[in-house]
Amino acid sequence: MKAAVSSEWLKLRSVASTYHTLGTAALTVLLGVGWTLYVSALADERGSLRAAAPEQGFLPLVQISLAVLGVLAVTSEYATGTIRPSLAAVPRRGTLLLAKAGIVGLTTFTAATTILLLTYSVSRLLASGHNLGFNTTPLADDLPSLLASSLSATALALVGLGLGTAIRSTAGGIVSVVALLFVLPGIANYLPSPWNTRVATLLLPNIVPQIVGARLSSRLGDGFLPPWAALAVLCAYPVIALAVGYVLLKRRDA
Amino acid sequence: MVRRARGPPSRILYGVIELQHLTKRYGGTLAVDDLSFKVEPGHVTGFLGPNGAGKSTTMRLILGLDAPTSGRALVNGRAYTSLRRPMREVGALLDASAVHGGRSAYNHLLSLALTNDIGAARVAEVLAQVGLAGVARKRVGGFSLGMKQRLGIASALLGDPGVLMFDEPVNGLDPDGVRWIRDLMRSLAAEGRTVLLSSHLMSEMALTAERILIVGRGRLIAEATVAELTSRYPSLEDAYMALTAGSVQYGAAR
Amino acid sequence: MSVLTSEWLKIRSIRSTSLIIGLSLSAVLLGFGLAVMAAGMYDSAPVDRRPSARISDLEEVVVIVPQLCMGILGTLAMTSEYVTGLIRTSLTIVPRRWPLLGAKAAVVVAAALVIGPTVVFGTYFLSRWVLGDRFSGAYTVAFLDRLPVLATVSLTVPVFALLGLGLGALLRSTPAAISITVGLVYVIPIIIGNIPEPWSERLGSLMIAALPRQITGDGNANSVYGSLLPPVAAAAVLVAYAALPLLVAAWLLRRRDV
Repeated sequence: MKAAVSSEWLKLRSVASTYHTLGTAALTVLLGVGWTLYVSALADERGSLRAAAPEQGFLPLVQISLAVLGVLAVTSEYATGTIRPSLAAVPRRGTLLLAKAGIVGLTTFTAATTILLLTYSVSRLLASGHNLGFNTTPLADDLPSLLASSLSATALALVGLGLGTAIRSTAGGIVSVVALLFVLPGIANYLPSPWNTRVATLLLPNIVPQIVGARLSSRLGDGFLPPWAALAVLCAYPVIALAVGYVLLKRRDA
Repeated sequence: MVRRARGPPSRILYGVIELQHLTKRYGGTLAVDDLSFKVEPGHVTGFLGPNGAGKSTTMRLILGLDAPTSGRALVNGRAYTSLRRPMREVGALLDASAVHGGRSAYNHLLSLALTNDIGAARVAEVLAQVGLAGVARKRVGGFSLGMKQRLGIASALLGDPGVLMFDEPVNGLDPDGVRWIRDLMRSLAAEGRTVLLSSHLMSEMALTAERILIVGRGRLIAEATVAELTSRYPSLEDAYMALTAGSVQYGAAR
Repeated sequence: MSVLTSEWLKIRSIRSTSLIIGLSLSAVLLGFGLAVMAAGMYDSAPVDRRPSARISDLEEVVVIVPQLCMGILGTLAMTSEYVTGLIRTSLTIVPRRWPLLGAKAAVVVAAALVIGPTVVFGTYFLSRWVLGDRFSGAYTVAFLDRLPVLATVSLTVPVFALLGLGLGALLRSTPAAISITVGLVYVIPIIIGNIPEPWSERLGSLMIAALPRQITGDGNANSVYGSLLPPVAAAAVLVAYAALPLLVAAWLLRRRDV
């Protein structure tokens, strides 16, 4: 297992797409700076205003970039054919998938946490002296939300890995995480009440607010899940996706 | 360019490939049909047959990449998938183009080596052995077909295994490379290894192999020494043509 | 003409084409389901609350499915050749590179021109049939009055196909092209929703989903999208989404080694 993990770590480090996806996610820090400067300038004009926190506003960018990283971790093996040498070297398919999951999980959690904390700190530094609505709470109060956000990005990356394994296609894998992150929530929004909130409460983008006990949105109101249940649902996503990926990987010819 | 495999190996290289009524069906086509044979150590065994005869499928079945419909393929008396460090017992080159174009040759090999607890020193060794030491840090995407073949052979040699399988390793090699392969195969066999080699180049096969297995439509057509075949027919090529007449079909190609 | 036929064959033989087209068309079923559900909700609501019940235009809700799918089809039409190395063969057979790109563009636009209107008008008529005069008669507005919006919304589907193709030819990478398409459709609108005025409205007016109602002059009330563009400018922006990546790609395709 340790051997497979170190191999997966090398595989991830040695392709450019990893740096592209991480770089795209890290754009959040720069965007956060621009954002904070912009709303600070507006606040100077208008006295004060309520703006969304940049680490929340740009979270979808972090989530989707890291999800693509998760998808590519396996679909690039299918696209190039390296899945066969990989499986010849590690014939126990569960070991291979678990090693990939471990590396993708660790990498994306580290990346997401770093990016979100950096965005948070830089924006609070730049915003000091202004009242922007998002910079009034102490870090201790914001920490659960930051952690839940990076967990959600990690979960999505692992979902991408699981579904990528099941679908074996880069396009298909990306589309499925996009569906989970954007399309389904978009459609759930339009369901007639109360079904919109009932469905939305289980969807990925709405899990983070429920973990920290916040409202989903002005349209959807409060979710139905207590924090521990929201955390359980968040974990269920990657577990189910990886389980589906594992069963198919195990049963199919490579 | 011509390099000999390094001196006498320190461990016992004895290895056997044994197929017992191996059968593989894809949908309605029988790719491998009740195939039974044994490949013994100490000489190169040529694996011949028309395109689509089931040679590559057989190799995939031996490596556990595809699951047999019935029957068994054993390496040293065990199923490949049950081997703990398979690369140390079996090395295989199936498809030289199965590499991630963005990865360097060194990283490609190291990512495979790590899974079987093979060190970086051994990676450098096989790179030198196949004549790629000078381009070890270059992207594989820029390699010629011949260089990719050498890289694929390097990956098969990584674990210094007793059993080696090569599927069409001569494709794309220059005359110098063809001779190099011939010498390499023969010296690997002379060291007491088991070498299974598939190729369509009959003249080359006559020079390299000692025993020949011919398959057609997934079934074993002939099993003989090169000497036996060339005594009964004008050449190995004539033997092949006579024996496979009627077996040329592409139904099982995959 | 022969280039066109060959591209048509190639597109049909992409493993996922039938899946993508099936998925696109299933958006009609999705719209139908939403309409049935909405009708059920409306009927079970207390009579006094019914007049305040609102419904979104379902065809504009479900059109994101064929938009995304056709964008991906456009991308795959180009990138699948790079993945397999087929592009070298293709450009040997059709050495002039613009006809190759042009033929691919024609084929994906043709597909999208069938699928876009099918989904939009199909959803519209099914919703009209299911909902009748519920929701304050949202679906009893005369068809001819709705036609301009329906037609321009349908046209966004071929725009996505060309955008996907252009990005695919430009970036030569499936994940990169699809990610940018997804970013344009989903990520940026979410971010724009969080930006304070006036930039929220300025950027919101430039999003693809904001363009149809600016072209028809209806405007985007009650959404994250803005309505700052006059019809002609909005139409120009829509064309630019399709044409710009494709033109840059065509220029690069000529200059770059394959």
